Amino acid sequence: MPSPMVGRLGNEMIGEIGDRCGARRPPRRSAMTMLNVDAIGKRFGPVTALDGCSFTVERGRMLGFLGPNGAGKTTTMRAIFGLVELDGGAVLWDGDPIGPVERLRFGYMPEERGLYPRMRVGEQLAYLGRLHGLDAHDAHAAASDWLTRLGLADRAGAKVVELSHGNQQRAQLAAALVHTPELLVLDEPFAGLDPVAVRTLAQVLRDEAARGVAVLFSSHQLDLVEEICEEVAIIDRGRIVAEGSLDALRRASERRRIALRLDGAPPEWEPEIRGVDVVERANGDLRLLVDRDVEPQAVLAAAERTARVVGFSYGPPSLAELFLELVER
Amino acid sequence: MSGRHAITLVATREIRERLRSKAFIASTLLIVALLAVSAVIGRLFDPQQTFDYAVTAPAPAGLATALQGAAEPFDDAKVKLRTVDSAAAGRRLLENGDVDALLLLPTDRLVFRKNVDVQVAAVADTAIRAVRNELPPEPELTTATLHAPDDEPGDAALLVAYAGSLLLFMSLAFYGQWVISGVVEEKNNRVVEVILSAVRPRDLLAGKVIGIGSLGLAQLVLVVGFAVGLLVGGVFDAPASLGADVALVVPWFVLGFALYAVAYAVAGALASNQQNAETAAQPVTYALLTVYFGSYIVLAADPEGPLASLLTVFPLTAPLVLPARSALVGVPLWQHGLAILLVVAAIVALVRFAGRVYALGLLHGGSGLGLRAAWRIAREH
Repeated sequence: MPSPMVGRLGNEMIGEIGDRCGARRPPRRSAMTMLNVDAIGKRFGPVTALDGCSFTVERGRMLGFLGPNGAGKTTTMRAIFGLVELDGGAVLWDGDPIGPVERLRFGYMPEERGLYPRMRVGEQLAYLGRLHGLDAHDAHAAASDWLTRLGLADRAGAKVVELSHGNQQRAQLAAALVHTPELLVLDEPFAGLDPVAVRTLAQVLRDEAARGVAVLFSSHQLDLVEEICEEVAIIDRGRIVAEGSLDALRRASERRRIALRLDGAPPEWEPEIRGVDVVERANGDLRLLVDRDVEPQAVLAAAERTARVVGFSYGPPSLAELFLELVER
Repeated sequence: MSGRHAITLVATREIRERLRSKAFIASTLLIVALLAVSAVIGRLFDPQQTFDYAVTAPAPAGLATALQGAAEPFDDAKVKLRTVDSAAAGRRLLENGDVDALLLLPTDRLVFRKNVDVQVAAVADTAIRAVRNELPPEPELTTATLHAPDDEPGDAALLVAYAGSLLLFMSLAFYGQWVISGVVEEKNNRVVEVILSAVRPRDLLAGKVIGIGSLGLAQLVLVVGFAVGLLVGGVFDAPASLGADVALVVPWFVLGFALYAVAYAVAGALASNQQNAETAAQPVTYALLTVYFGSYIVLAADPEGPLASLLTVFPLTAPLVLPARSALVGVPLWQHGLAILLVVAAIVALVRFAGRVYALGLLHGGSGLGLRAAWRIAREH
């Protein structure tokens, strides 16, 4: 990992936002802490999937779980449900190890979707509800509630295989929610959804968080995460490289983003200041990432010397830029 | 939620979904219909029986008529009566197989060659009473044989033995196939990850095996009950006592299914994504086939030999061999006990192994897990 982000984050954040983020602080066990992933490790033969991964998700919070492919997101989520045997560390719920009884209060949407294809949607949801401890009456009522809420009420009697792709996705979401879980774990829930479905799902997740559910979801759609999440954890090579509120992480970054709109600049113009990189350039619009100690005025002055500046903005990097900074190899 | 509750839910779902598929009901009706048809055909093509008697001269007046009258209840069987000059001449006819029984009226004895035929004896007894105008209960005639009766299994015993083990073999393979296709389906469409987030792997395994096993058991009980009913009702030309041997098929289905269904489930869990249920089932199905034909050969050769005894108690073969051997030559009580003990021990061991590799196999996509790799992992954890 080229960027020693964790250490610097830890040092800087103390004054600024307390222990909100940083990966090396001891696990918090306040009453609010629900899910506590504590230094979990897992090896598959020669491959290290998880290498001391730690983060927490609190009740009523929504945590975006980010990381490149193969970073360990799915393995972490499976570990919460006891689907992988860990080599080290522990996953705790309210400070206690998670067993079969606790898991009944969790909802899970695995990365690879799946329901019984020839079972009727309503019965399937009720069955899953009962497996999570609901009695028959409550399970059927909850199944029917969720189907109505997700616009599938008229398809309750259909077999899963008869549903359209989008409706199968909704049924899958309902399967994770039918037993009113206290923790929701969703692996890539937005993958493959159309914009309408994305909006519906985002609203459901917000509602669940507002209801007091701890929500953990992974995604590669960083702009979307930025829009709906206040907190993220970024994992790379089995370790959390950043965790905390999105704003704080962006502010804590060593880099700043500058957007410039120039009129009449030479096509290959660069500010020629140390610590300034042009990351994108199109029709006079430039996106720069600069070291934090670079004075924005210096960049602006350099731009004004070569062209007319019609737009200028300076601020912390976007989540996508932060992500690339943290996991760049 | 307790494991038992989860097992019940899983088993109930299996039963409900499969009953809905209609294949179960259709196959049950088909088997029962086949059984009924075979009974009817058996009767249609059953040649009229003839009871051949010899009697030493002088034959009492009206004996032939009385015999014919007594044979009426036996589907109007024909009766032939020959009068012989001496008991010695009668014995010669008996030895040659020309007559079924020899009536020695001076001593009120009915002599058979080797085995007493109860129908032939009953007809003769009734006829003599009629001739003498006497009423039951005292039997008029005592039976005797020229030679010691042999204990070769009769045709009916052979039929029960082979039909019983065929029925067992087919039930194990058929419902085993249901188990493995259910497991492979759950694995391949990934629903298993959702299920396993709430249910322990061994409870899922147990629920599946118990649910499908209950269906198989229900079908078998229906078919076997029907067969025993036909047997006891005298529809088949077989002693009613064989009904007990037929009924033995049921408990051995339960034991055999527990063993083989778990093996099928493990094979399904370890299958690769590309494998369908049929190819994944092959190792277990081949094992079952080998057991079936192997025990057939051994039992046909020498049902009382040491190898047959060994296969009676060996866990993999016991479910097929024990009921068959019981019908053929009988099985000592201690072998019944030992066989049950060993097969239950095997089931416990297999379930423990399965509980460990089941989740690993189910969640392991791609190329699938070899049995050896699964064993290694199971030992490590």
